[in-house]
Amino acid sequence: MMLLSIPGFLLTLTILDTGHASTSGPNVASPEPEVSGNGVPGSESNVLHSLPRQAQSSYFPSLLLSAFPEDLEVGDYCRELLHIFGQRYVSYVNCLVPSARPVKICQNCHVEFNNLQDIYSNISSEQLGPGNASCRDTLLRSDRLMLVFQLFHDLQQIWAISNCARCLSEGGQSLSNVTLYYMATLNQSLSCFEKHQQQGNHSELCKECKKAYRDLNELYSRMEKNESLCLDIEDAMNITRKLWSKTFNCSFPREETVPVIAVSSFMLFLPIIFYLSSFLHSEQKKRKLILPKRATSHTNLMNIQDRSRSEQVLHGDYR
Amino acid sequence: MANITKKVSWSSRDDDLAQGEGTALLNGATGAARYTRQFSGGSIFRIGRLSTVDLEEEITTEEEAILSRPKEIPHNEKLLSLKYESLDYDNSENQLFLEEEKRMSYMGFRCLEINRWVVCGLIGFLTGLIACFIDIVVENLAGVKYQLVKQNIEKFTEVGGLSISLILWALLNSVFVMVGSVIVAFFEPIAAGSGIPQIKCYLNGVKIPRVVRLKTLVVKVCGVICSVVGGLAVGKEGPMIHSGAVVAAGVSQGRSTSLKRDFKIFEYFRRDTEKRDFVSAGAAAGVSAAFGAPVGGVLFSLEEGASFWNQMLTWRIFFASMMSTFTLNFFLSIYHKKPGDLSNPGLINFGRFESDSVAYNLYEIPIFIAMGALGGVLGALFNVLNYWLTIFRIRYIHRPCLQVMEAMLVAAVTATVSFAMIYFSNDCQPLVQDQAEEYPLQLFCADGEYNSMASAFFNTPERSVRSLFHNTPGSYNPLTLGMFTLSYFFLACWTYGLTVSAGVFIPSLLIGAAWGRLFGILLATITSSGSIWADPGKYALIGAAAQLGGIVRMTLSLTVIMVEATGNVTYGLPIMLVLMTAKIVGDYFVEGLYDIHIKLQSVPFLHWEAPATSHSLTAREVMSSPVTSFNRIEKVGTIVDVLSNTSTNHNGFPVVNEYIDNTEPGKLCGLILRSQLIVLLKHKVFVERARSCLNQRKLQLKDFRDAYPRFPPIQSIHVSQDERECMMDLTEFMNPTPYTVPQETSLPRVFKLFRALGLRHLVVVDNENRAVGLVTRKDLARYHLGKHGLEELQLAQT
Repeated sequence: MMLLSIPGFLLTLTILDTGHASTSGPNVASPEPEVSGNGVPGSESNVLHSLPRQAQSSYFPSLLLSAFPEDLEVGDYCRELLHIFGQRYVSYVNCLVPSARPVKICQNCHVEFNNLQDIYSNISSEQLGPGNASCRDTLLRSDRLMLVFQLFHDLQQIWAISNCARCLSEGGQSLSNVTLYYMATLNQSLSCFEKHQQQGNHSELCKECKKAYRDLNELYSRMEKNESLCLDIEDAMNITRKLWSKTFNCSFPREETVPVIAVSSFMLFLPIIFYLSSFLHSEQKKRKLILPKRATSHTNLMNIQDRSRSEQVLHGDYR
Repeated sequence: MANITKKVSWSSRDDDLAQGEGTALLNGATGAARYTRQFSGGSIFRIGRLSTVDLEEEITTEEEAILSRPKEIPHNEKLLSLKYESLDYDNSENQLFLEEEKRMSYMGFRCLEINRWVVCGLIGFLTGLIACFIDIVVENLAGVKYQLVKQNIEKFTEVGGLSISLILWALLNSVFVMVGSVIVAFFEPIAAGSGIPQIKCYLNGVKIPRVVRLKTLVVKVCGVICSVVGGLAVGKEGPMIHSGAVVAAGVSQGRSTSLKRDFKIFEYFRRDTEKRDFVSAGAAAGVSAAFGAPVGGVLFSLEEGASFWNQMLTWRIFFASMMSTFTLNFFLSIYHKKPGDLSNPGLINFGRFESDSVAYNLYEIPIFIAMGALGGVLGALFNVLNYWLTIFRIRYIHRPCLQVMEAMLVAAVTATVSFAMIYFSNDCQPLVQDQAEEYPLQLFCADGEYNSMASAFFNTPERSVRSLFHNTPGSYNPLTLGMFTLSYFFLACWTYGLTVSAGVFIPSLLIGAAWGRLFGILLATITSSGSIWADPGKYALIGAAAQLGGIVRMTLSLTVIMVEATGNVTYGLPIMLVLMTAKIVGDYFVEGLYDIHIKLQSVPFLHWEAPATSHSLTAREVMSSPVTSFNRIEKVGTIVDVLSNTSTNHNGFPVVNEYIDNTEPGKLCGLILRSQLIVLLKHKVFVERARSCLNQRKLQLKDFRDAYPRFPPIQSIHVSQDERECMMDLTEFMNPTPYTVPQETSLPRVFKLFRALGLRHLVVVDNENRAVGLVTRKDLARYHLGKHGLEELQLAQT
């Protein structure tokens, strides 16, 4: 089997390499079920994939006129992995989209992401599955599109940008204690807001909820220092702050304008006094002129003076 | 900067000059004891006056009476100070020197060459280390300060009493600045300012007293740390150049006179010629450490000291520059705990301009040029204001305590203005993660937002520049930028020239970046497609270049520095065009800031070329005459008398044959320097002694080198009455081949000789080779092209 599979794989490569035009058929065809799987609810794609190979080849008679020999095609095991990957991919995306606003992806979707990651690591592992087939090469690197890799990479990117790992416990199985505590604190503030909002008096709200809000802020800045913030928490905090500052208008007012102006103008006044007093009292620095000795040796003491005057006349001419 | 006027140079000659009654003279000029009769004639004095059109009217007898005694006038820019002397860049090729050169083998010269490379490497390394030290200390101290103030402000925003925060901020600033100012004002006034004018003078060939001493370096480094941490509108880049120069002067000598340590190495380099080459390397290393611009550093040295230059030196200087930027990079990477990540090439890091929006289009070039013109006008305004301020400071604020007080006041006012700006600003911007403001201040903004004015004011200037370049469009609103530009312009203008060591590069960049960004924002709003191509960061960069160019008026080196600091060659053309326009427009109004300060310090600075209309002057009018000269074999008493004559401060003396009487000049056969005579007197190299004890050690060039650069004053040398009668043979020690010119040589020709050869003395001879006069640097530097044509500067004692 070993002996057979290796040349078979090489053959696949050579086919793919030698003529892009000729192999464009399979290349285009292969992503198609995935696209449909993404767009349409999962059941249909499941049907497509779960079809046995023989049935599949008859399902697309026009496209796969010449079925590849057994060994060149993707093995059963890998097909199975790909199938599971597709399912989990769909469920993860399905979870992500509703959690987009306000951002709750880390809280809601970490289970799905873990599942997806597991299956991907299965696919990309070096270990040979049953039948000695390495799915890593067949599924991930066989063509220039590298669809499976690309899809997973994009989703992983989303997860990484959101810093979701920071909010999860070790191993990523559940939310971390800090996050849960933060959520609890957040709820306190929000319920306080809600309680007083109904009274319609915002100044009352600002006073009453100040403690809860400040606790929340302190917790947040502590977590910021520990680098245990994920996007969920940041977003929640942002919304709360906006509520507090913009909706309820609880920011600090600019109250003490007068003392600030007084102190500033006093400070600005000091240099004026300083310069005036140094102008009036400081002795002006004088420079002693030194008298240069010029070519004075013989008769023409006054010559330079005269000459320089005549020069000025000269200069005057062309100025 | 004004303070350097207080102490007089020449090691311990201070006393003489202080008590001298206004009669100290030109180097090597006339008026020694034997020509006293020249002093009596009153009429010659009026020559010292400006020979301009204003003198057309008759000089009355009354005026003549005033003119005839030494006059006192307020300090102004049209003076030349006596305390500055030339460097002896031209080797004195006397017999000792020639013998030593002959003794040196080919290998010896090879070793020297290798030594030069070693010295340059050391210069680069040490300069980089110093830059690294400054950077780390400033970052930490400023961090502590801003954290403290920030916490205070946050506390008082809530409970009220923000005026206390204001006072705290002002107080902290004043304390730091006081420390920085005290060490400068009381210990080393020459360390004030950016140091670039002083280094420019040094490279030009003027010996500025104490400018390259170890003490100056220490004061400079501590001073700049204090003034940056003290929140003044200053940068730490200019002083880096001075620091590099001091390091170079120190390392290349292989000893420190201040520490009284002599490592007995690099003894060959103990003369002005070699030292100045190394100083130019040090200045380049400083620039390169400051901006991460090694090529810019080399070009800076080339632009400022280009008159004495050779290709091998360029390569060595480049080596020093590279070493310095590499050292800084390497140690900062260790400090930032990423050893080996060489991404901090300079003190100021402009960040990278890489995204697509910062590409520029052909149609933007006219806009850039217009910005250059604006930068030139604003720069000229800055310079004019600073010029008047500096004159006022020199005239009235010359006592050290006053200077310290002034610096503290400026620091307090800077804090006050910043605080008021932040307090009354309504510009709130959301905190964005990737443009991490170092110390975001919330004040009255909504939670999660920060005060945008604070990101410009409440920060070290370097960081503010970077955030102006790189913050996303929309992170400043136009009003904020306008107010910031306006206030910072006046603050920076007020700050430059204080008695603290601080540079003007960063404030200029900051002003320019602010109005450039404003320009970009306005451009984006008034043009339909502007929001696509008018990236505010790009215009901030162009504005920064324009403003800096308008203030300092550097051309080639500044272009390369900017290009290297942004790491983007694409901007080469716009930056060059902008700097060109800024220089042309600015020069129409007033000179560059550094030139203004050089002038105000009365330094005899030789520009690139002689004044344009000076062709009618000849060496006969320019020279000092008659000359104090010595016979080839001269009586010791005469020499001592001439040297210790307090009314003269001559430095070079022609040596003549057959010197008959006082009126007839003798035939020239050599030139001897004061320093050489002093060494001779100290070792008592008299003809009589040589006869009496034949085994006396022969004087060697080493004896002259050991005394360099601080030759003892004549007063410290004791000459007994008997010795006064001895004779001294100068033949061996004088330079037998001094440069001479005939009397008819035109001024530009003399000027060219001086510039190209780095001369200190140029003997003027008549057709019988008799030394009739002597031209020195001050004789040439006094002619300058003023508003009314050729003007003559006056000599003054400062």
